[in-house]
Amino acid sequence: MNVAPPKSLVDLFTGFLMIGARSFGGVLPWAYRTLVEERRWMTHADFTETIGLCQFLPGPNIGNASIVLGKRWFGLRGAIVAFLGLMALPFVWVLALYVFYSDFSSEPRVAAVVTGVGTAGAGLFIGTAIKLGRPLAKKPFAVVLIAACFLCVAVARFPLLLVVPVCLALALAAARWNRL
Amino acid sequence: MKLVELGLYFALLSLVSVGGLPSVMPEMQRFVVDLKGWLTPGEFIQAFAVGQAAPGPNVLIASLIGWKVGGLAGAFVALGAMCFPAAVIAWWVSDLWDRFKDSPWRLAVQRAIAPIVVAMILSGGVVLATPGRPDWRLWLIAGATAAATLASKLNPLWFLAAGGVLGAVLL
Repeated sequence: MNVAPPKSLVDLFTGFLMIGARSFGGVLPWAYRTLVEERRWMTHADFTETIGLCQFLPGPNIGNASIVLGKRWFGLRGAIVAFLGLMALPFVWVLALYVFYSDFSSEPRVAAVVTGVGTAGAGLFIGTAIKLGRPLAKKPFAVVLIAACFLCVAVARFPLLLVVPVCLALALAAARWNRL
Repeated sequence: MKLVELGLYFALLSLVSVGGLPSVMPEMQRFVVDLKGWLTPGEFIQAFAVGQAAPGPNVLIASLIGWKVGGLAGAFVALGAMCFPAAVIAWWVSDLWDRFKDSPWRLAVQRAIAPIVVAMILSGGVVLATPGRPDWRLWLIAGATAAATLASKLNPLWFLAAGGVLGAVLL
């Protein structure tokens, strides 16, 4: 398959604008469709590798991808343009939806529906965690680490700024000693 | 002053948000609801719900929290604070990542972060499903949704809609 980088900053901007504009129910599938299938800016393998990196980095996955790809193609200007393109429309829509919702939020039925939607969103996270965690289930140290980190964050409610560096240090040591 | 505080705290969270926004949802809730009282637990889950149902990266939930705290300026501050430090890291690491393609350290880092990402996203889900005291109805909705996403590949919007229906019936 022939792939070529975006021709201009405008091209880059509209591409990421299209990702943000259509991303109902999740950004990743639309990012794939736009970047790989429609605009053909990158190959499937390249996409997978880039997203893989961005999932390990802190911050929003696709937001990071917009920075990494924008930089690769147009340097600093590209990173800024891609990021703004990605965020512009969803930012306006999410605020508009929230303002619209706020007019009805005192209505108990509406609040019940929205709380249900939010809780289902929490369920999506749990499902994602299970999917990502499955390949780790065979490694005893990974399971212990996941359990310990979960207890610290979700049950004991220790500050994340403390838990993450400590767990990360332990995990790095374990990975270096081939326990992960 | 509130906005400065919000911005600085979210910027710190941005640095530890491996796995994206889900990872830092428990900490955001702890900070803006429990510690500062800027939002009630109900308002927090509802802002989260609107952010999930709207299109776009779910980091935009941060901008809704910012909006609640300080209007439009708050929305910009919260979103910028959540994205900028992480963007600087992404900018910087993407070069290193290619350069260290065959280094054992790169592999070690990848393997080390994986379990932490899993634990943090799991924590995010459980904390969001437990906004106040444990409530079996919320756990049922979250558990059913998690099971459904594992069993099918439908667009997650369908599961959010089903959650809304369950919410109307149960809550």
